[in-house]
Amino acid sequence: MNTPISGLKKGHSGTISSFTDDHIASKLMTMGVLPGSSVQLIRIAPFKGGYYLKVDGMSMVVREKEASSIVLEVH
Amino acid sequence: MSIIALAGNPNSGKSSIFNQLTGLRQKVANFPGVTVEKKFGKLHLRGGVEATLIDLPGAYSLYPNSQDEQVVLNVLANPADENYPDAIVYIADVTNLEKHLLLLTQILDLGFPCLLALNMSDIAEKEGIKADVKRLSDFLKIPVIPVSGRKGTNIDVLKEGITVLLNEKIKGNGHFALYEPSGNEQEVLTELKQNFDIDNPYRALLLAHHFKKLPFLKTADKERIEQSVKKSGFQDIRLQIAETMRRFDKFTPVLRQAITKNSDKTTFSDKLDAVLTHRTFAPLIFVAIMFLVFQAIYAWAEYPMNWIESGFAWISGFVKNTLPAGWFADLLTDGVLAGLGGILVFVPQIAILFLLITILEEIGYMARAVFIFDKIMQQFGLNGRSVVALISGGACAIPAIMSTRTIGNWKERLITIMVTPFISCSARIPVYAVLIGFVVPSKKVAGIFNLQGLAFMGLYLLGIGAALISAVIFKKILRSEERSFLMLQLPPYRFPVWKNVWHAIYEKVSVFVWEAGKVILLISVVLWALASYGPAAEMELAEKTALETARQENLDEEAVQDLVAARKIEASYAGHIGKWIEPAIRPLGFDWKIGIALVTSFAAREVFVATMATLYSIGSSDDESTVHDRLSQARRPETGELVYTPATALSLLIFYVFAMQCMSTLAVVKRETGHWKWAFLQFAFMSGLAYLGSLLVYQIMA
Repeated sequence: MNTPISGLKKGHSGTISSFTDDHIASKLMTMGVLPGSSVQLIRIAPFKGGYYLKVDGMSMVVREKEASSIVLEVH
Repeated sequence: MSIIALAGNPNSGKSSIFNQLTGLRQKVANFPGVTVEKKFGKLHLRGGVEATLIDLPGAYSLYPNSQDEQVVLNVLANPADENYPDAIVYIADVTNLEKHLLLLTQILDLGFPCLLALNMSDIAEKEGIKADVKRLSDFLKIPVIPVSGRKGTNIDVLKEGITVLLNEKIKGNGHFALYEPSGNEQEVLTELKQNFDIDNPYRALLLAHHFKKLPFLKTADKERIEQSVKKSGFQDIRLQIAETMRRFDKFTPVLRQAITKNSDKTTFSDKLDAVLTHRTFAPLIFVAIMFLVFQAIYAWAEYPMNWIESGFAWISGFVKNTLPAGWFADLLTDGVLAGLGGILVFVPQIAILFLLITILEEIGYMARAVFIFDKIMQQFGLNGRSVVALISGGACAIPAIMSTRTIGNWKERLITIMVTPFISCSARIPVYAVLIGFVVPSKKVAGIFNLQGLAFMGLYLLGIGAALISAVIFKKILRSEERSFLMLQLPPYRFPVWKNVWHAIYEKVSVFVWEAGKVILLISVVLWALASYGPAAEMELAEKTALETARQENLDEEAVQDLVAARKIEASYAGHIGKWIEPAIRPLGFDWKIGIALVTSFAAREVFVATMATLYSIGSSDDESTVHDRLSQARRPETGELVYTPATALSLLIFYVFAMQCMSTLAVVKRETGHWKWAFLQFAFMSGLAYLGSLLVYQIMA
């Protein structure tokens, strides 16, 4: 099943299958967030803010806009 | 002298390595045209060879997403750049190596002699991560050295490696072939190489991608590149994605073999984050930490600030007693020494704020603060990190503004700088204390609250409100081509490296003292001259009539001096300015004496109290309650009405809440934004708001 990270429940994970926005994708990829990377949604910030992700073991934060452009294949 | 550059991702621990390599032999400047910090220092190598070591800003790739990354590209893609390195030491975090090599492969393709330092080898060892150095070195064809910037391990081996690198110029052999351009790119490259005489194909490719934003290209060159690019249907974003993918595809399999890791388990950082970034606890913990920071700058700094002030008072007294009385002694004491004191008095606050902020940064907490507050701050056009500046602005705007360097987005950083001085700083307190009694009586309401205390709080809230509303205004006005986005790595929690903390404090203090200090000293001397000199005849007359009056009234010596001082400042140029601006400030309820105080307190807000004391002939006793009592008797000569009615006092209070009455802050804003433009804009904006606010209050109340 494919879903954007913004549709993921806290604690769930998946593998990146694609990006819906080339500009965001190009930025994320320089940080090593690539198709095939495994992603877990750890938590969402207070006041509906940032998304705390673990990407291949690396902790990082993105905003909702970025999170919704990352499409995951959920196991 | 050869130039060696340190390159690597943010969080690779570059600055620790830089500090290890250079020690205290380092300097800080800005990269040309931008306010991105350039740290450089001398490197002593084997055989007495010296080299310049430059710490490039942290970057993930040569496809810039921030000002920091743009600077790295500007330097590495331009052989004519003054910082263009002869060799590069690439720093990578070995505990997370697969995310750290993209930039290295690009640097190798540019043909730089290069070596790879695997940093954090001590932590890797602890976590059971093993790196096959030989395999990495064979694959990359460059020397690979495990080091620890934190512990200082293998720094001598690294230095030796740099020596060898400089001697043998182990090149990334022009084209490392980690990546090969596709047909479409090849076409553009051939054209660019012919037209621009570029020997390196990857550099040509970078020009094709980034020509619009490269400051070293001439307009004509940009147009020529644009033509080639258009002709071949070069699609930069797609090509960039493809290039990045191919690079990762190339080195990821090798890394899987070269690095052995224990399976990912829940780490200490994860457990700590469960609390520190918790939905409910996180904001509370943050506020508690910030309260501690505020308390520290506010309360702890008071002692060293008092020592500095009394130290300068002593020196000033000594100079006055030793030198013959006259303009030179006055210039030294009231101009130069007052200016120097005015600079150094901020040092404790700056040092304490950066002690705490750097510790928080080193631990890894600051990135979490961004995570917690990003959303709220976004509404105001600010950044998660702006919270720190706004809160420390409550103690002093100067260190607060200097702390905005870590905000990556230029617009968000600029807005933070512009609005931070609205937060009531500690220098406003004496002014509030003198005036608040005219507006509200000191009595209890609802049994527990002191009315004056509530009014104080009201003034603070007014400042906070002004800061946030202005932020929204600036957000609407300021244009920015940068897209706002947030992709931030949260580094694992680590103990601070104390060396880095001391370096940060030392650097911030010296930048303030030497760079902002020059401006402050200059303005201080100018203000001294304005307040001490006037048209010669008038000054003489003022002194004579003052002495005359004193004789008639039979005053004691101190009172005579106070009276002479009062009459002289009235006759001085500052006095003239005060009278000259009186028509403009009369609608606010201010007289010319307040006008003089507005001019002199531009040096620093608390000078208001001292100037008022001088003007009302009580210069020798300028504590706040004496000044308050004296002001409460002041009457307008033409009507005999009290000067300090509630309307005038409140109007003046509002003025001090909003107005940019601080030359030191302006000097720092100039230094941090790189332009006087922003300092002037801030001054005009804040003064304008102060004027309108006071006008409104006075006209309604009077």
